[in-house]
Amino acid sequence: MARTITVHGDINAIDTRVLLTQQGSVTAPSLVVPAGMTKIKKIIAVACIDGLADNGGVTFFLRLGGNAVLGGEQTLVHHAAGSQSPQAGSDTAPSIGIPFVLDDVDIDVSPSDTISISAEMAGVDPGDSTVGYTLVYGK
Amino acid sequence: MAKLYRSREGTITAVDTKTQLSTLGSETAPGPLLVPSGAKMLKAIMAVASSDYAVAADGVYFVRLEGPGLQEGPEVIMIGASGVGVATGGVSTTLAIRMELDIPVTPSNEILVFGENAGEDTGSTAMGVTLEFVK
Repeated sequence: MARTITVHGDINAIDTRVLLTQQGSVTAPSLVVPAGMTKIKKIIAVACIDGLADNGGVTFFLRLGGNAVLGGEQTLVHHAAGSQSPQAGSDTAPSIGIPFVLDDVDIDVSPSDTISISAEMAGVDPGDSTVGYTLVYGK
Repeated sequence: MAKLYRSREGTITAVDTKTQLSTLGSETAPGPLLVPSGAKMLKAIMAVASSDYAVAADGVYFVRLEGPGLQEGPEVIMIGASGVGVATGGVSTTLAIRMELDIPVTPSNEILVFGENAGEDTGSTAMGVTLEFVK
């Protein structure tokens, strides 16, 4: 048996911790670990940039913390991105955020406590970015 | 057995230059990356890198792990490569990769994480590394 929580958010500045509490049309999804769930078994992460800043190059990483996460804050890198401004009149390639799926994550969590999900991009600002995560809980 | 994840990132700005990854975004001085208490093995690393494509060139990227936390000494792991034909308009988003290693570690001792660009100078390269420990 598994349960999931999905959140996303915009990261528009480098080296800035962004707390993720949105889920599209649901503005405040519950971040309480479901009863009976004792582990994060899988993480699905996506990220992309708009590339509107020249000479951008960043690493994206996830922070998992809060009362629910046992063993201290866990940090995981999952994507990187870079960009150059195109020549005037040229097209530029899209930035496609293919999901990074990490199996057998095995992070201990405390059921019925609240998890804190935040993310950052570090490096040289490439413009705006969007990240999204699904945590899959299990026993 | 529960796992523990610790990360560092940084930017590599010169070719053939060992660059310590010593920050973590908003944490500009997170201190030494210590092997967590009770951890016996560096089970895997996750790593990702991206050039800014400021130079029409191609090169490889690898990670160096050093320090007293590694019982058997330093390790070097290739993690990726990139190239671009023109210095305008390059853009990409790159997935991290997870590589299983099973390297014995010493708890409470430091592991130093370095990144390097070799081959041709690909401009500035953002690199992030997560160490996955098991007890």
